[in-house]
Amino acid sequence: MSDGEQTEPESREGSDEDPDQDTDEAPGPDEDESASTDDAVLSNYGIASAALGLLSVAAVVLAAVIWSAHRNASDERAYLTRVMQTAAGWTGVLINMNSGNIDASLQRLHDGTVGELNTDFDAAMQPYKQVVEKLQSKSAGRIDAVAIETVHHDLDTAPVGSRPPREVVTTKLPPFASRSDSVMLIATSVSENAGAKPQTVHWNLRLDVSDVDGKPMISGLESIR
Amino acid sequence: MRNIWRLFAFDIAAPLAAIAALLAIGVVLGWPLWWVSVCSVLILLIVEGVGVNFWLLRRDSVTVGTDDDAPGLRLAVVLLCTAALTAAVLTGYTHWTRSDRDFTDDSRKVVQVATGMAEAMASFTPNSPDNSIDRATAMIVPEHAASFKEQYTKSSAELAQHNVTAQAATLSAGVEALGPSAAVVAVVLRVTQTAPAQQPSRVAPALRVTLTKRGSDWLVAEVLPIR
Repeated sequence: MSDGEQTEPESREGSDEDPDQDTDEAPGPDEDESASTDDAVLSNYGIASAALGLLSVAAVVLAAVIWSAHRNASDERAYLTRVMQTAAGWTGVLINMNSGNIDASLQRLHDGTVGELNTDFDAAMQPYKQVVEKLQSKSAGRIDAVAIETVHHDLDTAPVGSRPPREVVTTKLPPFASRSDSVMLIATSVSENAGAKPQTVHWNLRLDVSDVDGKPMISGLESIR
Repeated sequence: MRNIWRLFAFDIAAPLAAIAALLAIGVVLGWPLWWVSVCSVLILLIVEGVGVNFWLLRRDSVTVGTDDDAPGLRLAVVLLCTAALTAAVLTGYTHWTRSDRDFTDDSRKVVQVATGMAEAMASFTPNSPDNSIDRATAMIVPEHAASFKEQYTKSSAELAQHNVTAQAATLSAGVEALGPSAAVVAVVLRVTQTAPAQQPSRVAPALRVTLTKRGSDWLVAEVLPIR
């Protein structure tokens, strides 16, 4: 600001000759005046206040960042919970399927799927259907464990001898799906045969759940073995 | 002009920001009773201060923000506002950012420990029978280590007798439940048992591993078959 005061007389002199200088000059005294009062007020308290003000602004920005990060994290957890619920509900129909309700159950299962699993539903369900047809009509399934799969080792990637092809429904991200998560489910079906000992079927399943317009849909089904 | 922005900054924005910060702390903490009372007292004080300030504005046409003779008071107002905002940020960081990060870290760690434990437990080599049990006991809570070792020795005695090698690998694992100090992980293994002059047999057992946090480490408390 001291520079401004020094140059002021010069600009005053120049203003007589150069009309352009007038526009510069007009606010000049105002600025200087406010600067001089600012110097008086801003000196110590003012500078401290300004620094604290900047700190406050930084705190507000930081708070916004923290809040949005937390909202993302809790949205993610809520979504994964919905994914697990969807997978559990779908598997609940699958493991409670028996020769009495097979058609209705298959229809319900089909409605919950999307993508390649939906188009190749009959082929994908064939092995499960075979298992279910062996069960008597008095059977009940129970889900023992549900978890978002975080570790997944495909131990069969290296061809081991001449094994039969695995019942894998290859899953690409189906159209309209924004993301896909794997859910592992461990379940048991027990069918009570009249006059025979109960027959138990163990299921170790991996379900791919895709997000289609905010609605979790099953896009892949695989046995973990 | 200068007075208008000073009025806005010191007499309006600062108290509003302070109130917002106090409310934000409440949201982060989930409104415990003690904060409800502290917060209402503080907000009442701020509102009273603002009320007096505007009464002075009407009487003397000067406020805290515009009074050139009271720069110290202005600094105090800004200081309180900054303190409230900083407290809100720190509370948010410790209660949200750090706990979210801990959750992500923990869910990775517990799966790592649980799969390591399950693999070590289900593996057996006749030549070096203590190899995998030593690996497993390092991951288990100390008070259960002895009984676990005993159990393992008993169950592996038969395998040793028949010279059977068991090799376990994780097929799939995921967190079933996770809290700040306890976790449950589901693990599906593939155990391949090979005996001399026999076809290798293969099973896929599902295990539920319960873990507890000791200090900063996750240790296994229990391993049970899921069925």
